[in-house]
Amino acid sequence: MAQTFFVPTINDSPSDFCQMFNLYNSIIHADSPIVLDFSRCNFLRPNAVAFLGGLAHTMQSRSKTLDFDWSTLHDDIQANLAQNGFLNHIGGFTTPWAGNSIPYREDKELNSDSIVYYLKTKWLQRGWINISPLLADTITTNLVEIYLNAFEHSKSERVFTCGQYFPQLDQLILCVADFGVGIPYNVREFVKRTKTGYDIKSDYALRWAFEPGTTTVGGMGRGMGLGILKNFIKVNEGNLSLFSHNAYVTIDKDAEKYMTHDCSFHGTIMHITLQCDETLYTLPEELSQKKMF
Amino acid sequence: MTTTIIKIKTQIGKNCITIGDGQKIYKALHKILTRNGTAILDFDGVEVFASPFFNAAIGQLLRDIEPETLNRHLKVESLSPVGTDTLHRVIENSKKYYGNPDYQKSIISLLQEYSEAS
Repeated sequence: MAQTFFVPTINDSPSDFCQMFNLYNSIIHADSPIVLDFSRCNFLRPNAVAFLGGLAHTMQSRSKTLDFDWSTLHDDIQANLAQNGFLNHIGGFTTPWAGNSIPYREDKELNSDSIVYYLKTKWLQRGWINISPLLADTITTNLVEIYLNAFEHSKSERVFTCGQYFPQLDQLILCVADFGVGIPYNVREFVKRTKTGYDIKSDYALRWAFEPGTTTVGGMGRGMGLGILKNFIKVNEGNLSLFSHNAYVTIDKDAEKYMTHDCSFHGTIMHITLQCDETLYTLPEELSQKKMF
Repeated sequence: MTTTIIKIKTQIGKNCITIGDGQKIYKALHKILTRNGTAILDFDGVEVFASPFFNAAIGQLLRDIEPETLNRHLKVESLSPVGTDTLHRVIENSKKYYGNPDYQKSIISLLQEYSEAS
Protein backbone atom coordinates (compact mmCIF):
# COMPACT_ATOMS: atom_id res chain seq x y z
CA MET A 1 0.00 0.00 0.00
CA ALA A 2 1.28 3.44 -0.94
CA GLN A 3 2.40 5.84 1.76
CA THR A 4 1.45 9.50 1.37
CA PHE A 5 3.86 12.29 2.22
CA PHE A 6 2.74 15.91 2.30
CA VAL A 7 4.97 18.50 0.68
CA PRO A 8 4.99 21.62 2.89
CA THR A 9 5.28 25.21 1.75
CA ILE A 10 8.96 25.62 1.02
CA ASN A 11 10.72 28.95 1.00
CA ASP A 12 14.49 29.37 1.08
CA SER A 13 15.49 29.91 4.71
CA PRO A 14 17.70 27.29 6.42
CA SER A 15 14.62 25.88 8.16
CA ASP A 16 12.94 25.44 4.77
CA PHE A 17 15.95 23.50 3.55
CA CYS A 18 15.73 21.38 6.69
CA GLN A 19 12.11 20.56 5.93
CA MET A 20 13.14 19.42 2.45
CA PHE A 21 15.98 17.28 3.78
CA ASN A 22 13.76 15.65 6.42
CA LEU A 23 11.12 14.89 3.81
CA TYR A 24 13.76 13.42 1.50
CA ASN A 25 15.29 11.24 4.21
CA SER A 26 11.87 9.89 5.22
CA ILE A 27 10.96 9.11 1.62
CA ILE A 28 14.14 7.40 0.51
CA HIS A 29 14.13 5.15 3.58
CA ALA A 30 10.47 4.13 3.22
CA ASP A 31 9.80 0.60 2.00
CA SER A 32 6.43 1.19 0.38
CA PRO A 33 5.56 3.12 -2.81
CA ILE A 34 5.30 6.86 -2.16
CA VAL A 35 2.72 9.43 -3.17
CA LEU A 36 3.55 13.14 -2.85
CA ASP A 37 0.56 15.26 -1.89
CA PHE A 38 0.80 19.05 -2.41
CA SER A 39 -2.47 20.06 -0.75
CA ARG A 40 -0.59 21.58 2.24
CA CYS A 41 1.85 23.44 0.03
CA ASN A 42 1.17 27.09 -0.75
CA PHE A 43 4.48 27.99 -2.33
CA LEU A 44 7.53 26.30 -3.80
CA ARG A 45 10.72 28.22 -4.41
CA PRO A 46 13.23 27.12 -7.09
CA ASN A 47 15.27 25.26 -4.47
CA ALA A 48 12.27 23.02 -3.83
CA VAL A 49 11.73 22.43 -7.54
CA ALA A 50 15.35 21.46 -8.16
CA PHE A 51 15.27 19.28 -5.05
CA LEU A 52 12.04 17.50 -6.02
CA GLY A 53 13.60 16.75 -9.40
CA GLY A 54 16.58 15.19 -7.66
CA LEU A 55 14.30 13.24 -5.34
CA ALA A 56 12.36 11.83 -8.30
CA HIS A 57 15.58 10.78 -10.00
CA THR A 58 16.99 9.23 -6.81
CA MET A 59 13.85 7.15 -6.32
CA GLN A 60 13.89 6.04 -9.94
CA SER A 61 17.56 5.08 -9.77
CA ARG A 62 16.81 2.98 -6.65
CA SER A 63 13.86 1.32 -8.43
CA LYS A 64 11.43 2.81 -5.93
CA THR A 65 8.00 4.12 -6.81
CA LEU A 66 7.30 7.82 -6.36
CA ASP A 67 4.09 9.32 -7.70
CA PHE A 68 3.31 13.01 -7.74
CA ASP A 69 -0.38 13.61 -7.09
CA TRP A 70 -0.69 16.53 -9.48
CA SER A 71 -4.39 16.92 -8.65
CA THR A 72 -3.42 18.27 -5.21
CA LEU A 73 -1.39 21.18 -6.60
CA HIS A 74 -2.70 24.66 -5.94
CA ASP A 75 -3.39 26.50 -9.19
CA ASP A 76 -0.58 29.04 -8.91
CA ILE A 77 1.99 26.36 -8.07
CA GLN A 78 0.74 24.26 -10.96
CA ALA A 79 1.12 27.27 -13.27
CA ASN A 80 4.68 27.85 -12.02
CA LEU A 81 5.68 24.20 -12.40
CA ALA A 82 4.14 24.13 -15.86
CA GLN A 83 5.90 27.30 -16.87
CA ASN A 84 9.36 26.18 -15.75
CA GLY A 85 9.00 22.80 -17.44
CA PHE A 86 9.00 20.67 -14.28
CA LEU A 87 5.56 19.22 -15.03
CA ASN A 88 6.63 18.42 -18.54
CA HIS A 89 9.86 16.81 -17.37
CA ILE A 90 8.47 14.74 -14.51
CA GLY A 91 4.86 14.27 -15.54
CA GLY A 92 5.24 14.34 -19.30
CA PHE A 93 2.53 16.92 -19.84
CA THR A 94 2.10 20.65 -20.44
CA THR A 95 4.56 22.42 -22.68
CA PRO A 96 6.57 25.04 -20.74
CA TRP A 97 6.48 28.72 -21.69
CA ALA A 98 8.59 31.79 -21.01
CA GLY A 99 7.60 33.76 -17.91
CA ASN A 100 9.37 34.75 -14.72
CA SER A 101 10.45 31.15 -14.21
CA ILE A 102 13.82 29.97 -15.36
CA PRO A 103 13.52 26.51 -16.92
CA TYR A 104 14.01 23.44 -14.74
CA ARG A 105 17.05 21.54 -15.95
CA GLU A 106 18.81 18.22 -15.41
CA ASP A 107 22.39 17.65 -16.52
CA LYS A 108 23.75 14.13 -16.85
CA GLU A 109 27.25 15.31 -17.67
CA LEU A 110 29.29 18.48 -17.77
CA ASN A 111 28.41 20.00 -21.12
CA SER A 112 29.92 23.40 -20.51
CA ASP A 113 28.64 25.00 -23.74
CA SER A 114 25.08 23.96 -22.93
CA ILE A 115 25.34 25.21 -19.33
CA VAL A 116 26.79 28.54 -20.45
CA TYR A 117 23.99 28.89 -23.02
CA TYR A 118 21.40 28.18 -20.30
CA LEU A 119 22.88 30.69 -17.86
CA LYS A 120 23.17 33.40 -20.47
CA THR A 121 19.96 33.04 -22.44
CA LYS A 122 17.48 31.37 -20.08
CA TRP A 123 18.56 32.98 -16.84
CA LEU A 124 20.41 36.26 -17.36
CA GLN A 125 19.54 37.83 -20.69
CA ARG A 126 15.79 37.67 -20.66
CA GLY A 127 15.31 41.43 -20.52
CA TRP A 128 14.73 41.66 -16.78
CA ILE A 129 18.19 43.03 -16.17
CA ASN A 130 19.55 45.71 -18.43
CA ILE A 131 22.76 43.80 -18.72
CA SER A 132 25.72 44.35 -20.99
CA PRO A 133 27.26 41.35 -22.76
CA LEU A 134 30.44 41.94 -20.75
CA LEU A 135 28.59 41.73 -17.44
CA ALA A 136 26.72 38.65 -18.64
CA ASP A 137 30.07 37.03 -19.38
CA THR A 138 31.36 38.07 -15.95
CA ILE A 139 28.39 36.62 -14.08
CA THR A 140 28.41 33.45 -16.17
CA THR A 141 32.16 33.02 -15.61
CA ASN A 142 31.57 33.08 -11.86
CA LEU A 143 28.48 30.87 -11.80
CA VAL A 144 29.81 28.17 -14.09
CA GLU A 145 32.18 27.29 -11.23
CA ILE A 146 29.14 25.89 -9.37
CA TYR A 147 28.63 23.25 -12.03
CA LEU A 148 32.30 22.38 -12.19
CA ASN A 149 32.27 21.74 -8.46
CA ALA A 150 29.09 19.72 -8.65
CA PHE A 151 30.33 17.46 -11.43
CA GLU A 152 33.93 17.08 -10.36
CA HIS A 153 33.56 16.49 -6.65
CA SER A 154 30.06 15.19 -5.96
CA LYS A 155 30.14 11.81 -7.73
CA SER A 156 26.53 12.61 -8.53
CA GLU A 157 24.80 11.05 -11.53
CA ARG A 158 23.02 14.28 -12.31
CA VAL A 159 22.85 17.93 -11.40
CA PHE A 160 19.46 19.63 -11.00
CA THR A 161 18.84 23.33 -11.59
CA CYS A 162 15.95 25.71 -11.28
CA GLY A 163 15.66 29.47 -11.02
CA GLN A 164 13.23 32.30 -10.80
CA TYR A 165 13.01 36.03 -11.36
CA PHE A 166 11.13 37.93 -8.64
CA PRO A 167 10.01 41.27 -10.12
CA GLN A 168 8.94 42.85 -6.82
CA LEU A 169 12.32 42.15 -5.25
CA ASP A 170 14.18 42.67 -8.52
CA GLN A 171 16.18 39.56 -7.74
CA LEU A 172 17.33 36.58 -9.74
CA ILE A 173 17.62 33.21 -8.05
CA LEU A 174 19.50 30.13 -9.18
CA CYS A 175 19.55 26.85 -7.31
CA VAL A 176 21.83 23.95 -8.23
CA ALA A 177 21.54 20.61 -6.42
CA ASP A 178 23.48 17.40 -6.65
CA PHE A 179 22.69 14.20 -4.82
CA GLY A 180 26.26 12.99 -4.51
CA VAL A 181 28.61 12.52 -1.58
CA GLY A 182 28.76 16.11 -0.31
CA ILE A 183 31.64 18.46 0.52
CA PRO A 184 32.29 17.22 4.11
CA TYR A 185 32.72 13.67 2.78
CA ASN A 186 35.31 14.81 0.23
CA VAL A 187 37.21 16.82 2.83
CA ARG A 188 37.23 13.88 5.26
CA GLU A 189 38.45 11.51 2.52
CA PHE A 190 41.22 14.01 1.80
CA VAL A 191 42.07 14.07 5.52
CA LYS A 192 42.31 10.27 5.50
CA ARG A 193 44.77 10.44 2.61
CA THR A 194 46.94 12.89 4.57
CA LYS A 195 47.11 10.29 7.37
CA THR A 196 46.91 13.07 9.94
CA GLY A 197 43.98 11.60 11.79
CA TYR A 198 42.22 14.95 12.05
CA ASP A 199 38.54 14.94 12.83
CA ILE A 200 36.73 17.67 10.93
CA LYS A 201 33.17 18.72 11.65
CA SER A 202 30.96 19.45 8.66
CA ASP A 203 30.79 23.23 9.15
CA TYR A 204 34.59 23.43 9.36
CA ALA A 205 34.85 21.26 6.25
CA LEU A 206 32.72 23.81 4.38
CA ARG A 207 34.80 26.66 5.75
CA TRP A 208 37.99 24.96 4.54
CA ALA A 209 36.46 24.32 1.11
CA PHE A 210 35.68 28.03 0.68
CA GLU A 211 39.26 29.09 1.47
CA PRO A 212 41.14 30.05 -1.72
CA GLY A 213 43.54 27.38 -2.94
CA THR A 214 42.25 24.51 -0.81
CA THR A 215 41.53 21.42 -2.83
CA THR A 216 40.95 17.74 -2.25
CA VAL A 217 42.32 16.98 -5.73
CA GLY A 218 46.07 16.76 -6.26
CA GLY A 219 48.18 17.10 -9.36
CA MET A 220 48.04 20.84 -9.98
CA GLY A 221 47.19 24.10 -8.22
CA ARG A 222 43.42 24.07 -7.83
CA GLY A 223 40.66 24.99 -5.45
CA MET A 224 39.84 28.44 -6.77
CA GLY A 225 36.19 27.99 -7.78
CA LEU A 226 34.33 28.47 -4.49
CA GLY A 227 36.65 31.28 -3.45
CA ILE A 228 36.06 33.11 -6.74
CA LEU A 229 32.31 32.66 -6.39
CA LYS A 230 32.38 33.86 -2.77
CA ASN A 231 34.28 37.00 -3.73
CA PHE A 232 31.88 37.71 -6.60
CA ILE A 233 28.84 37.39 -4.32
CA LYS A 234 30.32 39.69 -1.68
CA VAL A 235 31.47 42.39 -4.07
CA ASN A 236 28.19 42.46 -5.96
CA GLU A 237 25.80 42.38 -3.01
CA GLY A 238 24.28 39.03 -3.76
CA ASN A 239 23.93 36.19 -1.35
CA LEU A 240 24.82 32.55 -1.36
CA SER A 241 23.72 29.61 0.74
CA LEU A 242 25.24 26.18 0.46
CA PHE A 243 23.97 23.11 2.31
CA SER A 244 25.87 19.83 2.57
CA HIS A 245 25.51 17.09 5.20
CA ASN A 246 24.50 18.68 8.51
CA ALA A 247 26.18 22.01 7.77
CA TYR A 248 25.53 25.13 5.78
CA VAL A 249 27.14 28.40 4.89
CA THR A 250 25.54 31.76 4.19
CA ILE A 251 27.54 34.49 2.49
CA ASP A 252 26.65 38.08 1.70
CA LYS A 253 28.53 41.37 1.55
CA ASP A 254 28.52 41.73 5.33
CA ALA A 255 29.09 38.25 6.66
CA GLU A 256 30.19 34.71 6.06
CA LYS A 257 28.65 32.21 8.46
CA TYR A 258 29.35 28.50 8.77
CA MET A 259 26.88 26.56 10.88
CA THR A 260 25.42 23.16 11.62
CA HIS A 261 21.77 22.27 12.01
CA ASP A 262 19.65 19.32 13.11
CA CYS A 263 19.09 17.84 9.69
CA SER A 264 21.28 16.37 7.01
CA PHE A 265 21.44 15.87 3.27
CA HIS A 266 24.12 13.66 1.73
CA GLY A 267 24.56 15.85 -1.38
CA THR A 268 25.12 19.56 -1.91
CA ILE A 269 22.67 22.30 -2.75
CA MET A 270 23.75 25.80 -3.71
CA HIS A 271 21.36 28.73 -3.70
CA ILE A 272 22.39 32.06 -5.24
CA THR A 273 20.52 35.37 -5.23
CA LEU A 274 21.69 38.20 -7.46
CA GLN A 275 20.48 41.77 -7.64
CA CYS A 276 19.09 42.90 -10.99
CA ASP A 277 20.64 46.35 -10.83
CA GLU A 278 23.61 46.57 -13.14
CA THR A 279 24.95 49.64 -11.33
CA LEU A 280 25.70 47.43 -8.31
CA TYR A 281 28.15 45.31 -10.25
CA THR A 282 31.86 45.90 -10.24
CA LEU A 283 33.63 44.66 -13.31
CA PRO A 284 37.22 43.52 -13.05
CA GLU A 285 39.86 45.85 -14.40
CA GLU A 286 41.16 45.67 -17.96
CA LEU A 287 44.25 43.65 -18.75
CA SER A 288 47.12 45.51 -17.17
CA GLN A 289 50.59 45.68 -18.56
CA LYS A 290 52.12 44.41 -15.35
CA LYS A 291 53.98 41.14 -15.34
CA MET A 292 51.64 38.19 -15.48
CA PHE A 293 53.82 35.77 -13.53
CA MET B 1 63.46 32.65 -31.97
CA THR B 2 60.05 31.83 -33.44
CA THR B 3 56.74 33.16 -32.14
CA THR B 4 53.67 30.98 -32.30
CA ILE B 5 50.21 32.52 -32.06
CA ILE B 6 47.58 30.22 -30.56
CA LYS B 7 44.04 31.37 -31.27
CA ILE B 8 42.05 30.03 -28.36
CA LYS B 9 38.63 30.47 -29.97
CA THR B 10 39.74 28.34 -32.90
CA GLN B 11 41.34 25.68 -30.71
CA ILE B 12 38.75 25.53 -27.90
CA GLY B 13 35.74 27.74 -28.68
CA LYS B 14 34.16 30.72 -26.99
CA ASN B 15 33.90 29.01 -23.58
CA CYS B 16 37.13 28.04 -21.82
CA ILE B 17 35.94 25.99 -18.89
CA THR B 18 37.34 22.53 -18.41
CA ILE B 19 40.64 20.98 -17.39
CA GLY B 20 40.55 18.86 -20.54
CA ASP B 21 40.47 21.93 -22.78
CA GLY B 22 43.14 23.58 -20.66
CA GLN B 23 45.33 20.52 -21.01
CA LYS B 24 45.29 20.82 -24.81
CA ILE B 25 46.62 24.36 -24.59
CA TYR B 26 49.16 23.39 -21.91
CA LYS B 27 50.67 20.66 -24.12
CA ALA B 28 51.09 23.06 -27.01
CA LEU B 29 52.52 25.81 -24.81
CA HIS B 30 54.89 23.55 -22.90
CA LYS B 31 56.34 22.23 -26.14
CA ILE B 32 56.96 25.74 -27.47
CA LEU B 33 58.34 27.21 -24.25
CA THR B 34 60.69 24.35 -23.40
CA ARG B 35 62.23 24.72 -26.89
CA ASN B 36 62.98 28.34 -26.17
CA GLY B 37 60.18 29.60 -28.40
CA THR B 38 57.71 32.38 -27.71
CA ALA B 39 53.95 32.00 -27.65
CA ILE B 40 51.07 34.43 -27.86
CA LEU B 41 47.71 33.28 -26.54
CA ASP B 42 45.04 35.15 -28.43
CA PHE B 43 41.71 35.13 -26.56
CA ASP B 44 39.83 37.21 -29.10
CA GLY B 45 36.19 36.08 -29.17
CA VAL B 46 36.39 34.01 -25.97
CA GLU B 47 33.60 34.98 -23.60
CA VAL B 48 33.47 32.72 -20.55
CA PHE B 49 36.32 31.35 -18.45
CA ALA B 50 36.65 29.10 -15.47
CA SER B 51 39.56 28.54 -13.14
CA PRO B 52 40.09 24.84 -14.03
CA PHE B 53 40.84 25.83 -17.62
CA PHE B 54 43.47 28.36 -16.57
CA ASN B 55 44.89 26.03 -13.92
CA ALA B 56 45.50 23.39 -16.55
CA ALA B 57 46.48 25.62 -19.48
CA ILE B 58 48.70 28.17 -17.77
CA GLY B 59 49.00 27.56 -14.02
CA GLN B 60 50.77 24.24 -14.35
CA LEU B 61 53.47 25.75 -16.61
CA LEU B 62 54.92 26.99 -13.32
CA ARG B 63 55.67 23.40 -12.36
CA ASP B 64 58.88 23.41 -14.40
CA ILE B 65 59.24 26.83 -16.01
CA GLU B 66 60.45 29.88 -14.09
CA PRO B 67 58.11 32.90 -13.80
CA GLU B 68 60.71 35.17 -15.43
CA THR B 69 60.94 32.87 -18.44
CA LEU B 70 57.16 32.87 -18.73
CA ASN B 71 57.05 36.66 -18.53
CA ARG B 72 59.51 36.89 -21.41
CA HIS B 73 58.16 34.10 -23.61
CA LEU B 74 54.43 33.97 -23.06
CA LYS B 75 52.09 36.81 -23.96
CA VAL B 76 48.34 37.01 -23.56
CA GLU B 77 46.22 39.13 -25.86
CA SER B 78 42.56 40.15 -26.08
CA LEU B 79 41.66 38.65 -22.74
CA SER B 80 38.50 40.17 -21.26
CA PRO B 81 38.57 41.81 -17.81
CA VAL B 82 36.89 38.84 -16.13
CA GLY B 83 39.30 36.46 -17.88
CA THR B 84 42.22 38.58 -16.72
CA ASP B 85 40.93 38.61 -13.17
CA THR B 86 40.47 34.84 -13.11
CA LEU B 87 43.89 34.26 -14.69
CA HIS B 88 45.65 36.48 -12.16
CA ARG B 89 44.06 34.58 -9.27
CA VAL B 90 45.05 31.27 -10.82
CA ILE B 91 48.65 32.38 -11.39
CA GLU B 92 48.99 33.66 -7.83
CA ASN B 93 47.68 30.35 -6.49
CA SER B 94 49.88 28.30 -8.83
CA LYS B 95 52.99 30.29 -7.84
CA LYS B 96 52.33 29.34 -4.23
CA TYR B 97 51.46 25.75 -5.11
CA TYR B 98 54.53 25.05 -7.25
CA GLY B 99 56.92 27.61 -5.81
CA ASN B 100 56.54 26.92 -2.13
CA PRO B 101 57.23 23.35 -0.99
CA ASP B 102 55.43 24.13 2.25
CA TYR B 103 52.27 25.36 0.56
CA GLN B 104 50.53 22.00 0.50
CA LYS B 105 51.58 21.50 4.11
CA SER B 106 49.97 24.84 4.93
CA ILE B 107 46.68 23.66 3.40
CA ILE B 108 46.85 20.56 5.55
CA SER B 109 47.81 22.57 8.64
CA LEU B 110 44.69 24.64 8.07
CA LEU B 111 42.80 21.37 8.43
CA GLN B 112 44.61 20.77 11.68
CA GLU B 113 43.57 24.20 12.88
CA TYR B 114 39.97 23.42 11.96
CA SER B 115 40.08 19.97 13.55
CA GLU B 116 41.27 21.47 16.82
CA ALA B 117 38.45 23.98 16.66
CA SER B 118 35.93 21.22 15.92
